[in-house]
Amino acid sequence: MNDIIQNILVFTAIALAMLFLIKKFILPKSKTKKACGNDNDCACH
Amino acid sequence: MSKQINVALIGNPNTGKTSVFNALTGLNQKVGNYPGITVEKKEGVCRLPRGIKAHIIDLPGTYSLNASSLDENVVIELLLNKNDKDFPDIAVVVTDVENLKRNLLLFTQIKDLEIPTLLVINMADRMRYKGISLDIDYLEAHLKTKIALISTRKNEGIDGLRELITNYKEVSTEPCLKTTDIDPAYFENLQKAFPNQLLYKLWLVITQDVNFGKTDRKEIDAVTSFKTKSKADLKRLQQKETIKRYQFINNVLKKGQTIDLSQAKDLRIKLDRILTHKVWGYVIFIAILLLIFQAIYDWSEVPMDFIDGVFASLSEWTKNVLPSGAFTDLIAEGIIPGLGGIVIFIPQIAFLFLFIAVLEESGYMSRVVFLMDKIMRRFGLSGKSVVPLISGTACAIPAVMATRNIESWKERLITILVTPFTTCSARLPVYLIIISLVIPKGKFLWLSYQALTLMLLYFLGFATAVLSAYILSKRLKIKSRSFFVVEMPNYKLPMIKNVAITVVEKTKSFVYGAGKIILAISIILWFLASYGPGDNFNNAEVIIKTEYASENLSEKDLQHKIASHKLEHSFIGIAGRLIEPSIRPLGYDWKIGIAIISSFAAREVFVGTLATIYSVGSDDEDTIKNRMAAEINPVRGGPLFTFASGISLLLFYAFAMQCMSTLAIVKKETNSWKWPVLQLAIMSSFAYLVALVAFQFLK
Repeated sequence: MNDIIQNILVFTAIALAMLFLIKKFILPKSKTKKACGNDNDCACH
Repeated sequence: MSKQINVALIGNPNTGKTSVFNALTGLNQKVGNYPGITVEKKEGVCRLPRGIKAHIIDLPGTYSLNASSLDENVVIELLLNKNDKDFPDIAVVVTDVENLKRNLLLFTQIKDLEIPTLLVINMADRMRYKGISLDIDYLEAHLKTKIALISTRKNEGIDGLRELITNYKEVSTEPCLKTTDIDPAYFENLQKAFPNQLLYKLWLVITQDVNFGKTDRKEIDAVTSFKTKSKADLKRLQQKETIKRYQFINNVLKKGQTIDLSQAKDLRIKLDRILTHKVWGYVIFIAILLLIFQAIYDWSEVPMDFIDGVFASLSEWTKNVLPSGAFTDLIAEGIIPGLGGIVIFIPQIAFLFLFIAVLEESGYMSRVVFLMDKIMRRFGLSGKSVVPLISGTACAIPAVMATRNIESWKERLITILVTPFTTCSARLPVYLIIISLVIPKGKFLWLSYQALTLMLLYFLGFATAVLSAYILSKRLKIKSRSFFVVEMPNYKLPMIKNVAITVVEKTKSFVYGAGKIILAISIILWFLASYGPGDNFNNAEVIIKTEYASENLSEKDLQHKIASHKLEHSFIGIAGRLIEPSIRPLGYDWKIGIAIISSFAAREVFVGTLATIYSVGSDDEDTIKNRMAAEINPVRGGPLFTFASGISLLLFYAFAMQCMSTLAIVKKETNSWKWPVLQLAIMSSFAYLVALVAFQFLK
């Protein structure tokens, strides 16, 4: 019983960790609206 | 029920705006970003008399409402957009008593937007040293506002300011200048076309191209009865506006301010002469850096050893107290050592930020920028590039964003591309652990070899950034013009409260930002190191016991052999062995290879990864450093972390682009994948090559 609970907790922790990393690095919130690299016209507005 | 009002803190850079913010909010503040952009947004809450709660926003420093950078745009967009949830009920303009004339330009512009505006005259304690006296009643009457004369350094006048904010409804909204005075014909025409709009607001929209509410420049252009002027004409009108404003300010200050130079006792000129001297300036700067790095090592040793010991004991205690099983192992061998790998560096990182905050607060950092500009120019960088390069010692991400105030695109792009070479705080844990393992503890004069090595690595990062900039300036065919303006604030004794807040905030953001990633990676690494496919992993105990049946191994040695065998055939072991041939020439084994790969997300993960890998299967209560020191090279025998492999690793981390977040921000700032991809390819190849040469030469 103890082993089953411990294994469930381990796999839950791993799933949460993977979700966090995917959200952080693979699917980050898109914020690109105004930052642009051009002196004259960055078409931000 | 308490009422909440929005208060916008606005002011020129170096007026002590952040000190006013800290004085009003204390630690009730949070730092975030403005939506859609990465300009830092500081907000806080201040309790005022009569149950009023003030939501205070510390807006980016700006010289005027004529924006030339994204930071300055934030100020204008907020002040023009009444629908913004942060639109201020009252604007508090912070000025420096010594630069009142220049600071009042921004004040008059905000007043003309007819927003209730308070004037804060800060650094009142400097008045007697400068022979300045003010007629506050006269100034209040002619600037049509209420004035708070304060000194954040002496904590004087803050209660008065709170009282004035509480009575924000009594503050006049009368403008300082009539906008039509700038050019009567043009502005009367404009007013006719938009009779319901505030004229000065329209003028800002025409000249700034900012986003606010439903009115933008295109809409104004679209009204057939009114045509905006040519760009050159608009510039001329802006100049005329500035002249009119200074005429107004001069008239007010003629009677409202008296400066008696015979009373002034100024040390600034004498200090500037030494600190910006073409020889002594650099000598003093290097001496200060030496002092900082030595102090980082000396002062941090005791707390670091303590933290290391605590985490080792905690891991052992967890194993003893919790019921045995996979989850207990995950906590004891994965999470605790992984987190220990980051917490241990808090003392050193806090000391680094402490010194940087003191240098900034004292006004010395601006002298460094001025001093370094002479060198920067020769390498195709702007004087303003020094700010990102120096702030890159904390983190490359805000440093890359700090390039936004560089007007020339070529200089900005070069600065963005070379900034990741400067030694960021994420490299610090890697440097510190490797230095402590491979550099001897002796001293040269009063400086330890370890502190000198750390300082050399900082210099190396800076020198590589500058040399790369030189090459890029010759290779990139982009035409642009540049100029350099830097404000030299007065020298001040750093305010303990400001320094403390900076240290706490920066350290907290480093630990929390990195901590979450490290925690997640530690969990996954532990899993990959604790599980594996096939018989070699599952029957490790039988295999080892059969293999060593003839040898009389102790139980401890036997368990160690089983743990090593399992690790070697775990998922992580298999992956590590796959990449091992490519990193062996650099002096690394597969475990270091795994740490390098996992630290691609963030450099500081390196130490946490090694701590996790070395902890799996280990029953010893030992520190991360001791475990790394005890690691044996599987090919040559002897310690894995030797002088040659250590230097190779230090150089690899000095040059490699091991930070996904920096790549993302470079993509964002350049609006192209081309630059981050080039940056990654060039920096990583260069790092590999240098590490390879170093190891082969030193081994």
